Amino acid sequence: MEPDPLIRRYRNWYTHLLRLYPKAHRERFGEGMEQTFNDLCRERGAAEGGLFSFVVWMFVETSAGILRENGRTIVMQNKSIVRIALVTGCILLVPLLGNLLMGWHWHPIAFPLWGALLFGTGLTYELIAKKGGTIAYRAAVGIACATGFVLVFINAAAGIIGDGPVNVMYLGVLAVGFIGALIARFQPRGMSLALFATAVAQMLVPVIALAIWKAGWQALLTDPNSPHPPFHPGIAPVFALNTVFVMLFVGSAMLFRRASASTD
Amino acid sequence: MIKKITNTPLTPAVLHILLALSTEERHGYGIMKQVKSESQGKVKMGPGTLYGSLGRMMEAGLIRESDKRVDRELDDERRVYYKLTKHGQAALAAELERYRAVVALARKKQLAPGSFAYGT
Repeated sequence: MEPDPLIRRYRNWYTHLLRLYPKAHRERFGEGMEQTFNDLCRERGAAEGGLFSFVVWMFVETSAGILRENGRTIVMQNKSIVRIALVTGCILLVPLLGNLLMGWHWHPIAFPLWGALLFGTGLTYELIAKKGGTIAYRAAVGIACATGFVLVFINAAAGIIGDGPVNVMYLGVLAVGFIGALIARFQPRGMSLALFATAVAQMLVPVIALAIWKAGWQALLTDPNSPHPPFHPGIAPVFALNTVFVMLFVGSAMLFRRASASTD
Repeated sequence: MIKKITNTPLTPAVLHILLALSTEERHGYGIMKQVKSESQGKVKMGPGTLYGSLGRMMEAGLIRESDKRVDRELDDERRVYYKLTKHGQAALAAELERYRAVVALARKKQLAPGSFAYGT
C-alpha cells in the first residue's frame, strides 16, 4: 500500500491543477473532484498497482476535461455576446429604416451611442442574471435593466421633468441601484433592498424638483430657450410617469425577494 | 426540454452514470465504482469526464445534487451525493427502449456477434 503522505502530495498537486478549471465548474465540483481523486488513489494504492502511472493518467484525463470546460465556457460566453449584438442591431434597424424611409432625423452619432447603451444593458443583464439560477431572479434583473434603459432613453429623448438639467437627477436613481447591487454582491436579498432603494430614489426626484420649483430656482428646471414651462406637460403626468417607473422597480424588488425566499 | 432529452441518444458516459444512479444516490467515487463494476471494467472514466458529464447532466435536469454527507466506508469527509430526477428517469427509460428496439431488430434479422459480415 502506498504511504498516505505520497497520496496527500498527489492530491495537493491535483488541487493546483483544478485551479485551471473555469471558476463556476471549480466552485461546484472542485471539492468532489479532489475527494474522488483521493479515493481513486487510495484504491489504487491498496491494490498495489502502479500508483504513479495511474496518477499521470488522471492528470492527463483531467487536463483534457479542463480544456473541454474552458472551451465550452468561451463558446457559451461568446454566444451570449453574439445574441446581444444581434438584438441590438435589430433594434437599431428601426431608427435606421425610419431615417431612410420615413423621414426620421436620428443623428448619425445617436446610432453608436444608443447601440452602446443597448448592448451594455443586454450585457449587464447576461452578467447579473447568470448569478442567480431562478426564473424570478432573471425576471427581476430583466425588469430592472429594461426600466433603467427606458429611463435613460426617455430622459435623453425629451426629459421627464421638462427639459432642464434637473433630469440629471435620474442618473442618481440609476447610481443608487448600481451601487446597491455592488454592495449586495448581486445576492437576491440584497438586490431586493437595492431595488426598493432605487424605487424610493425614483419617487424622490419629482418631489425634489417640485421643491426646487417652489423655491424659485427655475433655471434648474427648464432650459432658458425652452418654449415650455417647468414641469411640462404638467405635474400630474410627471408624477404618473414616475409612479410607473417606481412600480417597475418595486416589481423587480419583489421578484428578487421571491428569488431570495426560494434559495433560503 | 424533456422531449429533447428523450429524443436524443445519450453519450456512453451519460448512459452509464444514469444507470449507476438508477438504484440509489451516489457520490462521485461511488458512481465511478458502480460504472466500472456494471461495465465489467470496460468503461474507464476519470474525474474530468465524470464531473464534466455531471455538470452537463445537471444543466439538462437529468440529475440533481442530493445532500452532503459522510460515507462511513471511506473516511470522515462530507461528500455531495447525486440522484436522478424525473427527467433523468424518463431519459434513461427512453434510451433503454431504443436499445431494446435495436436488439429486437437484430434478433429479427437473426444476427448474433460473429455471425454477420457484409457481402456474405
